[in-house]
Amino acid sequence: MNVTREEAAKALADVDRASDRIGQLKGYHHGAPYFIIWGFVWLAANLASYFLTDAAKFAWPVSLGFGFTASLILGILQSRKWPKGASTSERRFGSRMGMTAGIVMAFIVCIILIARPQSSQEVNAMISIVFPFLYMAGGIWAGWRLFAIGLVTAVAILVGYFWFAEHFELWMGLFGGGSLIAGGIWLRTA
Amino acid sequence: MEGPDEIIHQSTRLRIAATLNALPNGELLEFGKLKSILGATDGNMATHLAALEKAGYIAVEKDFVGKKPRTRVSLTRVGRKAFERHVAYLRDLLEG
Repeated sequence: MNVTREEAAKALADVDRASDRIGQLKGYHHGAPYFIIWGFVWLAANLASYFLTDAAKFAWPVSLGFGFTASLILGILQSRKWPKGASTSERRFGSRMGMTAGIVMAFIVCIILIARPQSSQEVNAMISIVFPFLYMAGGIWAGWRLFAIGLVTAVAILVGYFWFAEHFELWMGLFGGGSLIAGGIWLRTA
Repeated sequence: MEGPDEIIHQSTRLRIAATLNALPNGELLEFGKLKSILGATDGNMATHLAALEKAGYIAVEKDFVGKKPRTRVSLTRVGRKAFERHVAYLRDLLEG
């Protein structure tokens, strides 16, 4: 059997494409449950703030606490799931996700301390808008589905902030949280 | 330089091996998912999977999820080594 240099180049390109595609799918499947968890966090915290005004001050800390705890447990479970043959980067995926989330949260705290938003609505919008842009940036590298989730969520947040200010929390719960949940389910089906 | 692996070199089989090689050792991939990743037909996939299984390069597991039959495949150690050797051969050919 003779293989020409052209055939070898084409075969290696096929190998790269197949590896990239499965890598992208693995990323989608790992990321999907995080989107669903944080979608429910956004949904619950915003709806509680909107409908239960007395409980509003507890809604965010409780929801965020749930989100971080669930993400941490999920990250540990995902790390343990990798068999012995898995590469170091694959086994450390969960812990790296957790550390990345921590850095992003620290960044948001810094931005809020510097910008000093005047209302809870501004704080809500400022925190919420960071993530979809991260998804879009990540999507350029990791896959178009992630970019699409970011774009839809960013548009939902901006529309709610500028045109539905009176019902912003309701809007954010349904469309911000909802788009993350739907996005997570969409990633699972990839 | 070792010669090419005639079983793996065929385009669809090479892409099957590359896809399974990207998974951790022993991890199984569903037939439907593999088919969708490669954009292949049922018949085409079945033929090439049978050839790889006959060579001992992949393991095929069939079971039921509820009442639904499920077919999953994974790359064996032999298959992984054969794939790595073949890719090394292709790289040598290009660089040499």
